[in-house]
Amino acid sequence: MMKQQNIKELVFETAVYSKEAVDLAAYVFSGRCGVKVLPGRSGARVRLTGGDGLDGLAGELANEALNQQCRIDLAKKNSKLAGMIVTKALLSACGGKNPGIRGGK
Amino acid sequence: MAQKSPAKNKKAAPRSPLALWEKGPGGRLLTNDAGCHAWVEEKDFRRVIAGGLGAKDPLLKRLSAGGFVRERMDFDGLADRWRTLNAHLGQGPGLHILVLTLRCNHKCLYCQSSAAGEGAKKTDMDLKTALKSVDFAFSSPNPAITIEFQGGEPLLNWNVLKAAVKRARQKAASSGKELKLALVSNFSLMTEEKARFLLAHEVSICTSLDGPAGLHNNNRIFAGGNSHAATVRWIKYFQEKYKKQAPEYRVFKPGALLTVSKHSLPRHREIIDEYARLGLEDIFVRPLAPIGYARELWGKIGYTPEEFSAFYGRCLDYIISLNRRGVVLREKMASMMLEKILNATEPGYLDARCPCGAAIGQIAYNHNGDLYTCDEGRMVGWEGDDIFRVGNVFRDSLRKIVSSPAARACVVASNLEAQPECSRCAYKPFCGVCPVYNYEAQGSLWGNMRSNGRCSLSKGVFGAIFARLKRPADRKILESWVAKK
Repeated sequence: MMKQQNIKELVFETAVYSKEAVDLAAYVFSGRCGVKVLPGRSGARVRLTGGDGLDGLAGELANEALNQQCRIDLAKKNSKLAGMIVTKALLSACGGKNPGIRGGK
Repeated sequence: MAQKSPAKNKKAAPRSPLALWEKGPGGRLLTNDAGCHAWVEEKDFRRVIAGGLGAKDPLLKRLSAGGFVRERMDFDGLADRWRTLNAHLGQGPGLHILVLTLRCNHKCLYCQSSAAGEGAKKTDMDLKTALKSVDFAFSSPNPAITIEFQGGEPLLNWNVLKAAVKRARQKAASSGKELKLALVSNFSLMTEEKARFLLAHEVSICTSLDGPAGLHNNNRIFAGGNSHAATVRWIKYFQEKYKKQAPEYRVFKPGALLTVSKHSLPRHREIIDEYARLGLEDIFVRPLAPIGYARELWGKIGYTPEEFSAFYGRCLDYIISLNRRGVVLREKMASMMLEKILNATEPGYLDARCPCGAAIGQIAYNHNGDLYTCDEGRMVGWEGDDIFRVGNVFRDSLRKIVSSPAARACVVASNLEAQPECSRCAYKPFCGVCPVYNYEAQGSLWGNMRSNGRCSLSKGVFGAIFARLKRPADRKILESWVAKK
């Protein structure tokens, strides 16, 4: 007889969450329980399987999906600035020619 | 002064604010990317965000001077301030941590250093690796190199330590780079001969001191004797040498680090009094991180960010009260943050940078020559996960290490401009996130700052510092901690 597994399913509406945000959040939780991303009618479904505490994990996963979506939305607004900072930091550390950040001397 | 003319900026609302803000005691703290700060009362804050300040309003003048009014910004002045605050962006790795051995003769409750037993095999850095590591450190474009000897207990590998010190001094002389050498030791194996060598080669000395004997020895278990007694004995020795100085070389004041465990929380006065008694002028109130042994024992020795913040506030108040009585003592974390807040300079604190210091500001050299983004990253490696390994000192160049996937991922993930919570946080100009902490505590390099313990803790520390900066009497003392002499 197969032991019945606990299952919890979350739906992330496409109107709010991109597939990238859902996938990233699911990946972060892949070490803590079984995680499967499935297509749904109005968005992505994430199925969590495993032992106890799935309710808590589902809540954390929903928070993580929101965090990832906010990060993606933020990148649309200021990825240029963020990119300049990262480029300057990495090139300087390599000893390469140092790009000035626009507006700098 | 190049103030932007209002007439040229027709799109902007009149006198609209450009600020990050945080609720504080009796009002709002405003900050901006240049690291300026200002306090406004709650009723004024509502006027400020509505753009309702009149041209002759004194608050408009005050906020304009801090660069908070979009139409009245001194761009050149603010850009200069931003540049000095973020000077690390153009420097490259300055801190090079050589883990000379994983062995240690202590078994500290909270050890994050992944120490092995004193008799462990194949855990010492050999001479060839140590010399190669020193040479590698000098390949950094940074004109100022700090080499920190760590462990385990680095004095367990004394001959290699000595050789590395000599090699570093030779390299500094031939390269013209500024060199600082630092040793982090529990002092239990210190001898007169070793101390004389370290002094003569201008190695600064730092140890751990968790407070009075009972508390220190409870945290820092040493089967070979009394850890506190050895620590105090050698602090006094190096203090004495510092006072006398020497004609041939500079003698540095010894430093000590406090690691706060749950047992420390009710004893802030005793801990601080112990530092004052020993004549130490700095106390670094460092929180525990749930990494290494500490994670397994978190229930017994850990605490919530709120508990630490309250403890930190009590420590600051007590240290300030001692300052009023003429005692010279500064809290190190506050001093470093005050350097940023008051002087707009980068104090070299790699844990609070944007991006963090991983590989671009520091490199950890493991005993076997493997290179990690930082010492915390090395500890994760010791637990079996090499995600923060960036290369090997014999096989890879600095350029390859800095451009490794792990280094780039850490730099991108610790860029506060790309973190949803941080990008709007009032403490952003002074703060930094830690990808290793995020990975260990939340499963990803990015973490989720809304539920991140380190973020809560940092906010508590900044809240405590700014609350005291708001009180004129406390502010005067805090300003003296970072006054330019």
